[in-house]
Amino acid sequence: MPPLKSLPIAGQQQRLWRSLDEHAAPPAASRELGPEPPADDATSRRSVLQLLGASAALATLGGCLKQPDEKILPYTKQPPEVTPGNPLHYATASVIDGRATGLLVTASEGRPTKIEGNPEHPSSRGALGPLEQAELLRLYDPQRLKVVQHKSQPRALRDFLQETVYNARGLRGRQGEGLRFLMEPSSSPLIGQLRQRLLDTYPRAKFSAWSAIPLQQIHDGAQLAFGAAYETRLDLSRASVLLSLDSDLLAALPGTLPAMADWAAKRDPGKGELGRLYAVESNLTVTGMNADHRLRVKPSEIQRFGLALLGRLAAQVPALARYGALAQRFTLPPESAKFADALAKDLVKAGRGALVSVGPRQPPALHAAAHAINTALGSACVALARPVLHDMDAGPRALQQLAEEVRGGKVDTLVITAWNPVYGAPSDLNFGKALSLVPHSVYRSLYMDETADRAEWVVPSLHPLESWGDARAHDGTVTFMQPLISPLYGGTTEVEVLAAFLGEGDRSAYTQLRELWRSRQPDDFELRWEKWLGAGFIEGTATKPESPAVRHDQILAAAMQVTPSDAAPAGLQINIVPDYRVWDGRFGNVAWLQELPDPVTKLTWENAALMSPKTAQRLGVSQGDQVDLGLRGPPAHAPVVIEPGHAEDCITVSIGYGRRGEGEALCRGLGFDTSDLRHGDAPWFAPGLTVARTGRKIKVAQTQEHHSMEGRLIAAWTTAAKLKETSEQLAEHRGPTLTAYKPQEYPGHRWGMAIDLSRCTGCSSCMIACISENNIPVVGKEQVILSREMHWLRVDRYFVGDETSNPGVVLQPLMCVHCEFAPCEYVCPVNATVHSDEGLNEMVYNRCIGTRYCSNNCPYKVRRFNFFSYTSSYTNVEKMVFNPDVTVRARGVMEKCTYCVQRIERARIRTRVEGRTIRDGEILTACQQACPTEAIVFGDLNDSKSRVRKLHEEERRYDLLHELGTRPRTAYLARVTNPNPELA
Amino acid sequence: MKRFVLGEFEEPYACVDAVRRLRESGVGGLDAYSPHPLPGIEDALLLPRSKVPLVALTGGVLGALGGYAMQWYLNSVAYPITVGNRPQHGFWTNIPITFESGVLLAVLSIFFGSIFGFFQLPRTYHPVFESERFRTASLDKCWVSAETEDEAALEELERKFREVGAHKVHSVAESV
Amino acid sequence: MAETASDLRAQLEPPPLIEGRHDDGTLNKTLNDFVWRRPPRGWLVLLLLGMAGTGVLFTAITITIARGIGMWGNNIPVGWAFGIINFVWWIGIGHAGTLISAILLLFQQKWRTSINRFAEAMTLFAVMQAGIYPILHTGRPWFAYWMIPYPSTNSIWPQFKSPLMWDVFAVSTYFTTSLLFWYIGLIPDLASLRDSSTSRRARIAYGIFALGWRGSARHWHHYKIAYLLLAGLATPLVLSVHTIVSWDFALSILPGWHTTIFPPYFVAGAVFSGFAMVLTLMIPARRYMGLKHVITARHLEAMAKVMLCTGLIVTYGYLMEHFAAWYSGNPYEQYVFFVTRPRGPYAWAYFTQMFCNVVVPQMYWFRWARRNVWTLWIGAVLINVGMWFERFNIIVTSLHRDFIPSNWAMYYPTWVDFSLLFGTICFFGTLFLLFLKFLPAVAVSEVKELNHELHGHRGHPGTEGAHP
Repeated sequence: MPPLKSLPIAGQQQRLWRSLDEHAAPPAASRELGPEPPADDATSRRSVLQLLGASAALATLGGCLKQPDEKILPYTKQPPEVTPGNPLHYATASVIDGRATGLLVTASEGRPTKIEGNPEHPSSRGALGPLEQAELLRLYDPQRLKVVQHKSQPRALRDFLQETVYNARGLRGRQGEGLRFLMEPSSSPLIGQLRQRLLDTYPRAKFSAWSAIPLQQIHDGAQLAFGAAYETRLDLSRASVLLSLDSDLLAALPGTLPAMADWAAKRDPGKGELGRLYAVESNLTVTGMNADHRLRVKPSEIQRFGLALLGRLAAQVPALARYGALAQRFTLPPESAKFADALAKDLVKAGRGALVSVGPRQPPALHAAAHAINTALGSACVALARPVLHDMDAGPRALQQLAEEVRGGKVDTLVITAWNPVYGAPSDLNFGKALSLVPHSVYRSLYMDETADRAEWVVPSLHPLESWGDARAHDGTVTFMQPLISPLYGGTTEVEVLAAFLGEGDRSAYTQLRELWRSRQPDDFELRWEKWLGAGFIEGTATKPESPAVRHDQILAAAMQVTPSDAAPAGLQINIVPDYRVWDGRFGNVAWLQELPDPVTKLTWENAALMSPKTAQRLGVSQGDQVDLGLRGPPAHAPVVIEPGHAEDCITVSIGYGRRGEGEALCRGLGFDTSDLRHGDAPWFAPGLTVARTGRKIKVAQTQEHHSMEGRLIAAWTTAAKLKETSEQLAEHRGPTLTAYKPQEYPGHRWGMAIDLSRCTGCSSCMIACISENNIPVVGKEQVILSREMHWLRVDRYFVGDETSNPGVVLQPLMCVHCEFAPCEYVCPVNATVHSDEGLNEMVYNRCIGTRYCSNNCPYKVRRFNFFSYTSSYTNVEKMVFNPDVTVRARGVMEKCTYCVQRIERARIRTRVEGRTIRDGEILTACQQACPTEAIVFGDLNDSKSRVRKLHEEERRYDLLHELGTRPRTAYLARVTNPNPELA
Repeated sequence: MKRFVLGEFEEPYACVDAVRRLRESGVGGLDAYSPHPLPGIEDALLLPRSKVPLVALTGGVLGALGGYAMQWYLNSVAYPITVGNRPQHGFWTNIPITFESGVLLAVLSIFFGSIFGFFQLPRTYHPVFESERFRTASLDKCWVSAETEDEAALEELERKFREVGAHKVHSVAESV
Repeated sequence: MAETASDLRAQLEPPPLIEGRHDDGTLNKTLNDFVWRRPPRGWLVLLLLGMAGTGVLFTAITITIARGIGMWGNNIPVGWAFGIINFVWWIGIGHAGTLISAILLLFQQKWRTSINRFAEAMTLFAVMQAGIYPILHTGRPWFAYWMIPYPSTNSIWPQFKSPLMWDVFAVSTYFTTSLLFWYIGLIPDLASLRDSSTSRRARIAYGIFALGWRGSARHWHHYKIAYLLLAGLATPLVLSVHTIVSWDFALSILPGWHTTIFPPYFVAGAVFSGFAMVLTLMIPARRYMGLKHVITARHLEAMAKVMLCTGLIVTYGYLMEHFAAWYSGNPYEQYVFFVTRPRGPYAWAYFTQMFCNVVVPQMYWFRWARRNVWTLWIGAVLINVGMWFERFNIIVTSLHRDFIPSNWAMYYPTWVDFSLLFGTICFFGTLFLLFLKFLPAVAVSEVKELNHELHGHRGHPGTEGAHP
């Protein structure tokens, strides 16, 4: 193989990679226009092969650094701050649909190995959702696009830049006539500035934005209510009565993580008066699972319910008096009416503590109505601020216009940096066909996906952890992205693609970024820059809240436009939702997320047609039947999954599956594509759905098949009113049990954990944290069907009450509870699972011979067994994801939760060096660290002041399967709901 | 060089009877051979009480003690570690293996004790096999043998054998 | 009158242990006849089938070791399935042999004599099959030797509180004992084969294994004691082995496993299935090997009675399990015995077990069923099936739905699981056929002894009947 040192991309390593000491002299960048080959873009076809050689060379990288590797890893000159073996943490960000979440990334020997939340960052507060954490696996995905493709021929990036610039010269003559950019909704100041400069250069060029999950209707709603686009910024810490109208604010809205934290703070009966959450929705969502009251209605009825509610409030709130008419126009069925009456009273009672939140799938009129209610009640839980996005309009409407322009031959060059519009667009827009009509098209992508198949140029994009950039948080805080590793494969950032059209293809994103911010903060820039990168964001840059006047007349007018209840469409409806695991499909190739059970359905590796038991009965279908879903177009073949708590007469499907991109082998062909069911005019829900059985049966891979507690005390729950008596009943489920053996003494630390079921929303981000921290392998759909998934931590979901109508839901994260009287230990013939002097139930992997007796004797069944060698097929690049502190388990051994013993040991070493004892809260288990609601607390039970100790002394505390006398170290706190007496 | 006089008998009882009479008439080095144990032969030959039970007992006791000691030493001295909060030296949980190892050693000592010790087997050659006819000793006839050193006594012995009813009499010599 | 009276007498008195009059010579001939005869075609065909099946077994073993336990149907929660079911099943079958030869010997049951060799051989081969599974079912069979307490370099030692360790000792002791007991019983017969052999090769071969036995009275003297002592030791041993196997389950905390009644009811079950297997093999064997005169209706009937008796003990065990579950008031226990097993997805297995082990043996209350080889044979086969399903219900059905409903899951065996079961049956059959061909299937010397006991010495010494 050619000497890698000579590879241009290697030459650029030091430049791109590092962070804090990067300010040492920006690299000399030639300002002259024209295709002066940028250092990183290695020339000629020959060196494309070299590039391929480089990625091949990467394949020789082990998880740890070996001599030859250093040539290509950014460690040619080891930065002074690095001590091999000690990881470093860097602040950066992940951006989804233009909104940044602050990250803290752990790098071990120069490779990112764990993604955590940035504690200071307003969008994270130290917690993190599953998607952002899983970015890590995507970085090392060997299926990523590696070289530039021109008409599916490999080309050098420089060729692309040359052609672009050449093309650009021509365009400039025509003022950029026919130049179009299709971008992801972006909040990046740098992108904003580049767009401005591009428009200066090409006055006739146009920018449009596309996202499969746009917030456009939110903006339209604000437009309607205030005459200008606004975004709501929620502050749930004050919300005592909270109504979600199809708003999944606990899982899938911008600013979800802080929202969850604030919501959870008001679910703890120990800490003042409980909040109350009402949810009106069609399919069971994470928010719905956690609601105190939940109303199931067809998606189309949610708007009418909201307006009817507004009508009811008119009678009680003077400021809303004018809406009285709505009460008659929108009549509700008895159940809903009862719900609405009680709700209206409750909202009024709450006053400033009331909050109505509307989901982005709902039409503008409903958003406007919510604004009217919130302002009229003087809600203190919601602030209005101008949107941080450059484009208000990123939905089908925008794409429609672009498509028409293309058909009209008005588009000559189309640059797509948005994620995969060909796949995501509603089928009736025919965007795919339109794209192939464009003479010159450029598509920047991580994978060869559906859009890439049709684009002229496909440019590999850099992974967020490889690229420089900036973006705004949900509240507008400016956040920086910095690379932790030099690009594994050739690629470019969105910034660099845009810059190419300014003839600045040679000026890296890094240079552009620094120059922008230098221009904004000229004085002692270097110091600030270092501070910003260190923190990951610029403090005090959140957009200021405003209090615009509500335009009630317009709202009322719009509300009266809505078809009244009696004219509401009958029959089956389709209900299309974002997917909790793959979002809009962009995370499709991330195995961790594919195998992550959906928080609600516990479904893995595919999407399904969710329907309520009664509806299924009415349609004569049962779990696993394949059905054809048809709506104004060709049908989608979907497996039926019965979902208790789902609204009647509608079927929910999630987007993001049924992928066809040739470059994404992992997710290709999983599940079914919903774009035939989506239409430009009704991207989310519509009546007139037809369902037909195909007669085929499909084995769906659900990680939990039994959803009733069989009357056992597994996940305890009660209501605020009954809390006292419940805690008395729980008294016999805690404390030591009768035993023949003298309990062992634990003089030093006594590690323990407490899990508060009141706080757990079931979002499952703890699972991904655990997978990432503990090198847990992915086993694949077939193995999941055989119930051999390897997750050490699982989130169990139980239904209570009538499963056929509207059951309550209790969620229970369950991992090894580290019994003091561990039943697994005394049955092991070879001392492979034993007890530590701090009470950890330890698993000695290399002593295990795999009798599986321990698992049989574990009443919690939290042990996992390597039935096959699940990691032996990993390529060397994939192996870079492994946490060096945790053994990768061999075939035939048992494994389970260790309370993150590697973190305990790191803390022990650190504190010994500093000559002190471990402080409470110094050790966070991976799950605890990721949890947005602080439902999981770990610590030393011998420390009388530790949080975990306090929680163990709570009245809600109980031990799982206490009667078995296993004395678990993990205690559970019963879930407490706060139902409205009127509805009880 | 050892010499044997062999006499074949049709019936077990006749054989036992013959042995007794031969012994009473002062013949030494007697032994009997039969396809199955002969009732009453022990008295006829005045055999002492067998030592096999003693061997078995020793083996059994040693095995049991050893088994227990092993468990005690390995789990509470050599590798003491907390396992399910059980006492490291578990008396009750040691019983099964103690029993099994006791039985095992007893059985081994019985088997090998008898084969090597009492039977002096395996043994590829024995003078009595010099007579082809002797094959029947394991099939359907009984044989009596008298061992002697001096050649002169053979005549006398063969006569005595015929007297006690052996209907076939051979004398064989240990081939050197 | 007279006739009817004599008929009545004929009916009342049991059939003889040895039919007809024989002397040692004829016994020799008839009992060893099959060894000397050139192998009949039927035997050859069966042997070939058996070997083919053995091939399947070793293929399945290779695949399991090469690819991993994942080739089986096991999962979490069902960590044990076919592997352990078959292990317990075979070990159970392996109990009849020692029981017949040892316990019946101690009780001086004459009818044991002509079937003990047969049963002991079956024991050995069954235990050999059983031994395959515990090693194979571990995730890393190549490390299974870590269960042996040997001073390893990392100075970790086994954990003797684990019933699996007890298994290791119990099963290995049991195998050793059965082997030695069987062999020491064989020595005189090997000698007689040596001496009645016509070819030199046979003579040398048998000679080697006969160790130079010459039937000396001085040897017989020790031999009888040794044999009796071995029997005496084997008796508590055979009881301990299945007791310990049952502790694998009884000492866990799993509902459906955690039961004090397991030891006696496992032992009874073992004898039950063991006798069933002996009958299954013996009824055809005695016919084709011409052993009807020494293995008579009397033997078969006696075994049928043992099956009836142990069957009743097993039935009592089932009843007590359910009663204890109900009486304990323990919801998990109750769920297992009154919901999971009779009404769960594996109910069919539960009712198969109940039919075969509880209903079928009841027919042996009637003499016609005890005397008719067909009812005997079919009953025996059904009981073997039933006992397999008993273990299936104990192991799989208990595991697949335990304490926490969220982890409940179904278990489905794979083709590898079935190949292993089928394969061991074939391997067992192969060994058995070879045994029948090359060793005396009946303890000749003991039968001779018995023959003399029964019939005294007819005729006078020195008269006719001289050696032909």
